[in-house]
Order: sequence, then C-alpha cells, then structure tokens
Amino acid sequence: MTERLRHVDLRRLVPRLVVAGLVGFALLYVFVLATPPPEVGGNWRTTNFGSATDDWQSFFKTLLNGLTSAGLLFIVASGFSLIFGLMRVVNMAHGSFYLLGGYVAYEIQQRMTGQGFTVLGGEVNSWEWVLPALVAALSIAVVGLVVQQLFLRWNQGQELRQALITIAISVIVADQVIAHFNGGIAATVTWPGWSAKLIELPLLGFQYSLQRLIVLAFGVAVGVGLWGWLYRTRTGMVIRAGVDDRPMTSALGVNIQLTFAIAFVVGSALAAFGGVVGASQGTIAPGQDGQWLLNSLVVVIIGGMGSLLGAVAGSLLYGLVFAFSAVYLPTTGDNCCTQYSIVVTFMLLALVLAFRPQGLFGKVA
Amino acid sequence: MSHLTRRWKLLLPFGVIAVAASIVISTSLAASQAREVRVAIMTDCKGAFGFGYEPDIGGAQAAFAQYAGGKAKNPKKPSAGMTGIKVGSTSVKIVGYGCGDDTVPTAVKETRRLMEQLKADVMIGPLSGDEAVSVANYAKTHPTKTFVIGTAGSQDPTLQIAPKNVFRYHGDGAQWNAGIGEIAYKKLGWRNAAIVMDDYSFGWTSGAGIIADFCAIGGKITKRVFPPLGTTDYASYIQQLPGPDQIDGYFWVVGGTGTGASLTAFEQANGALKPSQHIGNLFFAFLGADKVVAPKVVGSYVGGFGTGPGLKTKQAKAYEAVVAKHYPGLNGGNYADGFVYNYYNAAWAFIRGLQSSAGQLGAKLQASMPKTNASGYEVSDNGIVKLDGNRQAIQDQYPLQIVKNADGSVGTVVVGYVPNVDQSFGGLFKKTSPAPGRTQPPCVKKKLPWQGKIKVVKNGVITNAVIK
Amino acid sequence: MTGVATTKLYVERAIGAGLLAVAALAPVIVNDYWVDVILTQVLIVGIAALSLIFLSAYGGMVSLAQTALMGIAGFILGNMVTERAPGGETKGLLLGWDPTLSLVLAILGTTVIGLIFGAVASRSLGIYFLMITLTYSVIAFYFVGQVTVVSGFSGIAGINGYTPGFIGDMVNDRYRLYYIALLVALAVYGTVRFIVRTPFGLALQGIRDEPVRMGSLGYTVPLHRTLAFGLSAFFASLAGVLLVWWQGQIAPGDIGLQTTLELLIVAVIGGLGRLEGAFIGAFAFIVINNYIRDSWLTDLLDTVGIGGSFNTIIGLIFLAIVIVSPDGLMGLWDRLWGFLRQTEGPDEPTVTPQPAGQQG
Repeated sequence: MTERLRHVDLRRLVPRLVVAGLVGFALLYVFVLATPPPEVGGNWRTTNFGSATDDWQSFFKTLLNGLTSAGLLFIVASGFSLIFGLMRVVNMAHGSFYLLGGYVAYEIQQRMTGQGFTVLGGEVNSWEWVLPALVAALSIAVVGLVVQQLFLRWNQGQELRQALITIAISVIVADQVIAHFNGGIAATVTWPGWSAKLIELPLLGFQYSLQRLIVLAFGVAVGVGLWGWLYRTRTGMVIRAGVDDRPMTSALGVNIQLTFAIAFVVGSALAAFGGVVGASQGTIAPGQDGQWLLNSLVVVIIGGMGSLLGAVAGSLLYGLVFAFSAVYLPTTGDNCCTQYSIVVTFMLLALVLAFRPQGLFGKVA
Repeated sequence: MSHLTRRWKLLLPFGVIAVAASIVISTSLAASQAREVRVAIMTDCKGAFGFGYEPDIGGAQAAFAQYAGGKAKNPKKPSAGMTGIKVGSTSVKIVGYGCGDDTVPTAVKETRRLMEQLKADVMIGPLSGDEAVSVANYAKTHPTKTFVIGTAGSQDPTLQIAPKNVFRYHGDGAQWNAGIGEIAYKKLGWRNAAIVMDDYSFGWTSGAGIIADFCAIGGKITKRVFPPLGTTDYASYIQQLPGPDQIDGYFWVVGGTGTGASLTAFEQANGALKPSQHIGNLFFAFLGADKVVAPKVVGSYVGGFGTGPGLKTKQAKAYEAVVAKHYPGLNGGNYADGFVYNYYNAAWAFIRGLQSSAGQLGAKLQASMPKTNASGYEVSDNGIVKLDGNRQAIQDQYPLQIVKNADGSVGTVVVGYVPNVDQSFGGLFKKTSPAPGRTQPPCVKKKLPWQGKIKVVKNGVITNAVIK
Repeated sequence: MTGVATTKLYVERAIGAGLLAVAALAPVIVNDYWVDVILTQVLIVGIAALSLIFLSAYGGMVSLAQTALMGIAGFILGNMVTERAPGGETKGLLLGWDPTLSLVLAILGTTVIGLIFGAVASRSLGIYFLMITLTYSVIAFYFVGQVTVVSGFSGIAGINGYTPGFIGDMVNDRYRLYYIALLVALAVYGTVRFIVRTPFGLALQGIRDEPVRMGSLGYTVPLHRTLAFGLSAFFASLAGVLLVWWQGQIAPGDIGLQTTLELLIVAVIGGLGRLEGAFIGAFAFIVINNYIRDSWLTDLLDTVGIGGSFNTIIGLIFLAIVIVSPDGLMGLWDRLWGFLRQTEGPDEPTVTPQPAGQQG
C-alpha cells in the first residue's frame, strides 16, 4: 500500500483535485442543490428555476442555449485558431472581418428586398439570406487574401510585427465601416421567413427556436467541413503538418506560401460568415469587432490554439458556462447575484491558464 | 537592400514628423486669435451614439443660424463649421467639436481639449449620460465656464452634482418615460409586468421612470432582469423572464446593439412578438431604431424623448421649419429626434443668455441664462419650458406609438401629452434619495402630478380627452 | 568603443539633459494646457509604456496587460479612497479609507496581482505570452464593467479630491501633479537602468536571449520572469495612481481593448528595444492624437475619396511605422547612427583571420 502512495505526485495531483472538486460542486449544485425562488428572499441555494431535478425543462433550455451560442462562437473562433495555428499570426483584424461580413450581407439583403430598414421575416425567402451570406463570405475572403499577400507574406516569422500590422488594419477598417456602411448605425440581417417559428422537440417535450437550431447546425456543419478538409484532403494534411512543424514542412518542398494564403482566406471567410449569422441573431454595429475578437481569443485560450478539437471544446465550454451562469447563479433578489456571471467565466479562464496554459488541446509552446 | 531604398526608409518617418509638426504649429497659431466668445459643441463621433455627430451639431448650429446670424459653411455637413455668428455686438466662434465615444475617459479628454486647449468658454453638450456626469464633475472645478447639456439623460448632473454652471433644457431619462406606465395600465390593461434593463446607470435611470410611472398607478413590476452591457447573446437573460401567458407585458430598456438582439432572443424563446405586450423606452423608436428595431414592434407604445414627432402646433412647425431652412435633410429629415431638438434648445438658450448678459461670461452669463425658453414641442404654459432650482428643465413629455407609414416605412406618432414633468418625478427623486439602481425605485403606489391628466393626442393634435 | 559610438552616447546624453531641463522648466516655457494635459499625460503614459518596454527590451516579453494593471491600481485606489460626498455622486465600494494607506494598498495590491499574472504567464513565450496578457486585459475590463459594485460602466469619480497629505491638493494646483509625475518618471527610469545592471537584471537579459541555456545553468527561468513581471506591475501601478489623480475619474473605458492597444502603439512608435522610446512614443502619439482632429488631413481623406475620420489617419501612420521601422523612432535613431558608422569606416586595426590552409 505505501509503495503505491510513494509514486503519487502531489504537484500534479493537487491541481487536478481542485479542478475536479470545483467542477463536481458546480454540477452537484445545478443538478441537486439549487432550489426554486420562494415568494420573498432566498439563500445561497435559490436560483431562477431551481435545480435540474426540480425543473428539467429549464435545464435543457439552458443547455440548448449554451450549445447554440457555442455554435456561433465556433464558426468565428475556428477561423482565428486556424490562422494562428498554421501561420502563428494573431489576426487582430479577425473581428473587423466579422463586422465587414455582417454589414456586406446587410447591404446585399437590403438591395434584394429594397426597403431601407429592417426587413420583416415574412418577406425574406431562403435565397435572400443565402446569397448575402455567400457574397459576404466570398468578398471578405478576397479582402483577407489581399491583406495576407500585401502585409503578411513578406514578414513571416516576425510574429509581433504581424500582430501590430493587423492591429493597424483593424483600426482603419473600424473607422471605414462607420464612414461607408449605414453611417455607423446598427443593422440587422433577417432570417428567412420560414425559420421564424418554434418547433416541438421530440424527446424533450418543449418548443425551441428553429433559428437557434439552424445556428447550431451551421456550427456543426462548419466543424464537420473543417474536419473533412483538414483530415481527408491533401491541403488539409499540409496544413496539419504546418501546424505541427512548419520549417520541416516547408523544407519538404511543399508550397507553404500557397497553403498560408488558403488558410488565411478560409479563416477570413469563416469570420465573415460568423458575422452574417451574428447579424441575423442580433444586430451588427461598430464596436462589435472588438467584442468578437475577444470572444475568439477566449475560445482559443481555453481550447488551445491551432487545434480544431480545441476550438470545439473552447466554444462549448465558453458558451455553456456563459449560458448556465446567467441562469443558475444564486439569486436572492434583484441585487444578487446573477450579475457576477462574468466572474464564473473568468474562473474558467483562470483555471485553464493556471493549470494548462497552452489550452485544453493545445500543444506546449 | 540598396542604399537608395534604405535612405528612403529612413527619410519617410522624418517626413511624417515634419507633417505632424506643421499641423501642431498651424493649429496652435490658429488658436491664438482675437478674443471673442468661444463655444465648443461636444458630441459623440464613435461608439454606440457615433451617428449623433452631425444631427447634434446641425441642431445647435441651426439655432445659431436662426438667432445669431450664423452662416453654415456646408448645409449638407454641419461639422464643416459656421461663420459670422454675432449675438448683439459680441462675436461668437465655434472653436471645435468634441468627439466622444460614450465612455468616461474619452469624455474627460475631449472636455479638456475643448475647454483648455481650444479655450472654449461655453460647452454645448455632451451627448450621453455618463459623459454628462464627467462633465458635471469637471464643471464643479471650473466655475467660470458654462455648460449647457446637449441631450444626456443621466440624473446626477442636475440632481446629485448640480453645479451652478451646468444647465439642462430637456428632461432626463426618467422624465422621458412619464406617462408610459399609465398608458400600459389603462389602455393595454397591464396589471403586472417584467422589465429588462441594461445593467448600468442609464438603463436604471430610464427604467426608474417606467417603474415609478407604472407602479404609481397600481401596476406591479414582478420581475427585473439586468443583462450586462456588451452582452452578445441574450438568450439566458430572456429565459429568466416569465412567459407571455404568465404576465401582462414587458418593458424594454436595452440600448445599443442590445435592442435588436434582445428582441430577437425573445422571439426565439417565446414566438412572434405581440405588440400589445411590449413597451420600450426611446431605444425602440429613436437613434436609428426606426430602421432596425421598430419594424418588429409596429403597434407598440414607446417612451418618449421629450419631443413630439408629427405634432401640429404652430410652435412645433416653426421649429421644424427653422431646421429645414438651415440644414435641410438633417438626420434624414427627422427633426423631431431629440438629438437635433435638444441641442437646438441648448444653443438657443445660450444665445438668449449671452444677449441678456451683454456678452459677458462666467458668473454673469450663468445668472443671465434664461429660466424659461419657448421650445418647439412645449405646449404647457403657452409653450414654455421652465428650469427648476437645479437648472433642470421641467418639460412636457410625449409617449409615442410605432406605426407603419403609407410608403411602408416605419415611424412614430405621438399618442399622449404629459404636462410639466419634473425631475423629482412627483417627489420620488431627491438629492439625498438613493440613485436609480437595480432595486431603486421600489414599486410603490403613489399619486403623481400628471396621473389621470394625460391628454390623448390624435393626428398631431392634442385633444381635451384624457387617457382612460 | 569606436569614435561614432562614443559620439552617439554623448549626443544622447546631451539631448537627454536638454529635454530634462526643458521638462523641468515647462511651466515657464509652454502654456498651462500643454503642461497640464499634454505633458503630464505624456509622463503618465510614458511610465506605463516604460513598464512595457522594460519587459520587452530586457525580458523579451511583450505584455498587453500593462494598461490593465494601471487600471487595477486606479480602481483599487478609487474604491478605497472615495466616500459618498454630499454634493457628488460617485460609485464603487465607497470605503472612505485614509488616502495614504489606500495609496500603499493600491500599489501593493497591483504588484501582487502582477506577480500572480506573471506566475501564470511565465511559462509561455512570444506570441502566446502576448495573447495570455491580452486575456488578462479582457478579464480586468469585463470584471470592472459588469461587477457594478466595484465600478460599473460609469466608473468612479472624484478621486483627486482625496490625495495623501504629503502630496497635497491636486485639483487646484496643476503644476504639482506635473512635477510629481516628472519625479516619478525619472525615478522609474533610473530604477530600471540600475536594475538591468544588477545580477537579477543580467540574468533576465540572459533569459531573454537563451532561456534553455540559462535553465541548464541553474537559473529558475519562470521565477525570474515572474519577478520581472511583478516589477513591471509595480511601475504600471505608479502610472495608474498618477492617472486617477490626473483624470479624477476612472472607468472601464480606461482599460478597454482600444486603450490597451494604444499603449502598445505608443511603445512601438517609440521603440520596443529602448527605454527612452517610452516617452518619445508617448509624446508623438499624444501630440498627433490631439492635433490631428482639426487638421487638413481629414479633408484630404475626403478629397481622395476614402472618407473616414482621424482614426483612419492614425491607423495609416501606425501601419507605415510598423512596415518601415518596426523598431520605432529610437530604432530609426539607432539605424541612422549605424549608417554613419558604416560610412566612417573602421578606425581600429582589426586582425584579419588567416585562411586555415595558410597556417600550416
């Protein structure tokens, strides 16, 4: 017995126990400990709906909210992660591509349905959403290509310099968007009319938004598409090799410049598509470029850079923690405590940074 | 690399420095000119309210053009400037336009740039609530300068801080919502409601007006939800709201990109929006919302902005004609937007004050600032807006409704007229009372001065009928 | 040293002394606005940029957390020092503690937080380090913005009314803050110059260049990095305290993404490799930012057809600098002297290496 104990490495065990304890307590709280709010007051166990065993419908709604939110996060963050993993470029203009994508789609949709203000769902058909999305993704892909060829191709390896260049570009783009698109006023893209309904979920027995499920479907489609591309095509193989060992890959005679360009184009297109979906889910306005850059950053920090699985894990964790903390934190009244939901998200970040700084699925730097 | 390219690379930055030096020299030379009254217009050119830049400047300069002989340099672009402003025998120069972004640090820097570098004596502005709090704090330590608030809706500048050199000729965020609670109770039959407020001071202030108004007449706010600023996905916050069959209605005090996003999240959680179940504050109708959000809630009632779009009084038409004369097409032709109207009234009041003080500034100007002004959409007391003891306006308010115009576009019409709404909201808010917050004000029944006195407005005409 | 190198050193020292004299006499030379707004701001931003350049030049770590640390010091001080005043509406915890104690706690607290941040980030390098420090910045920004009890979006106001006794009245006597900032800037600069010559500083530079070798020599690389980060947090906290005294207010906007990137831009413009770059970059950035508003360049943008405001111009200037001279203005200066050195030719007899075959 003592023989076994001597091999236990406390330095690795303690952090794992801490993390396991925190996660275990959180799950216990959500599933069992929480209680529904009484008429007046409350205590540390009171939450909006009680525990999952009290009100499992709310639990599944929150779960679905988190998953669908993660879908959009994944679409945007996967592009960021791809560009970083392969080219070691921190594309600080990623949020700008998101913003441009949303506005381009808005302009195209306005031109197609021609009203000058938000189109109502009933008046939009599928093509009037798909075409703007395609045009947005393609045009921003071209913008990304231009940026990469003009500004990032000749200084490969100078990571800080590339980050600074993309920062300058993001400042310029943000200002130009205000000047040229809609005067800087918020805009929204409308989903096709047929999607504006709640559908009955088969096993769960409650209704859920079809549009949010579409977002989740897009996220899954992008994930599957990226996986297929990275793991089943030759270009993908080169990209994975480049992520693992770039000098060697280049030394093997592969046209690494072409691969970089392709990766940057794909990443920008994903950001723009994410912008279209984001603009449909809410509104798009200047200022969101910074927000979505930070969202992408958080996802890849949690999940690990340059890893597809990492982007999935990061999006899921971030989206779920965000959704659950807003609903399942204790609430003793209007002054406490759901406004601390951001703290829970940061605890997640802090845990990852403290115990696994390269991210859950990242490679050690 | 050849010597030539290297030398070019070395010289280029020096070229930049030379250009920069020329700018510094030219602007500092320009600043040191003959003494005249110097006015700065402080507004936002970035951030959530960045589109207010031209409308704000246009509104203020329209007043200068009309009452002080100013000539617009470019009637299509107010920020191009204005010359020839003369009040009596005093010449007035607009020395600069502040470029805020709704945050406090930028407001502080821009205020200092305008008042200290460009040496402005008077500021007309700022635009947003938090900026006005910074400006009021700055004004406390600069008593010789005068500040006439542009269109900010925070309560603090004229209630808790209230320095003697800060004037506001329009209502604050709570005042703007007077009457909307009573309309919800009487016309829509709401008895209990939930409210969604941005979790910061303007959200709480605007929400405070709604809560005070609705609860005073007997309504109950049963749930308050506070999504933080900068939320991208409102689903979890919407989930906290009771369902549409469990509650009579929802009040929305969410701004910026959140207005559309929160409504979309609501639709995705609860199905299509029933306009009779949703009431918003000014974010539903103004500030570009007529294009983004309003089309989803046609038929909903909306809290006002202190302005009466479509009001057919002589005074309102005269105001609109003045703006149309000097800056046709300003703000897309929508002169009833508070961005234009409030800056116009601020500039006009300043011009009258300068006339009274015969061109003197400082304490003399502050004593001469008019205590009443004939503002375009005022109706009570023969169309006069009055200042209270804190230099805060007691203003008529106009609850609105979102309607679809004949050409398919979406607009707002005035549906109610609430006379003489003061900042204390019928005694609810005092200097020593807690500031609006998550739990302030509590939901209490009370008699407000305008309760039961809200007049029906139909087709821009204020009838004698009272809202029942 | 070669002749040109010594000349360069003397020229730099002369310029430094000259600038210091100008700075000391600034209230006499330039107008009040320049002293109070431009120069004091240059000093404050310069100290923060110095903390960044200290890490980048001598530690090889480019950190985006300096603005956040600056802000954290300001928020701690603001929360502790302000109390609900009868005529003012300030927000935050409103603890109302003694200003001197609060000052010490703010600086101490920020340094401790810096050590924790550093401990977590010290194992990462290069661009990973940059992103982790950016994450710190994000955490701090959202924390103070959404946890409304410590600040909220509107921030905390009225802080400069509560300065410690030995510092005096900041509100009415504007030169006082300028001279205090000047003294602190000089002290920080001098401290850094001293530290880099101590064994710790030399080890740090060794770790910057050859971390693996230093590790095998027995130095605890992460510990050195953490301590360096904590030191930079200390400097940043001084800048933060000066900032809230200068502004009187602090809000989440002070540590947002834009302000964080602006500090990096300042350091890059000045030069990430040299300490003096901090103040040069701060001066250039603040002056350009201030004066570009009402200049003819924005009209030029319109005539060219691009449109946009002065933000586009600042972005373009920054882009030009990064492409042309990534070492910033100080790098330009160094290259100019290097150029002169080349044209000067060798001035010491150099031993020509004999080809191997001839040695026999």
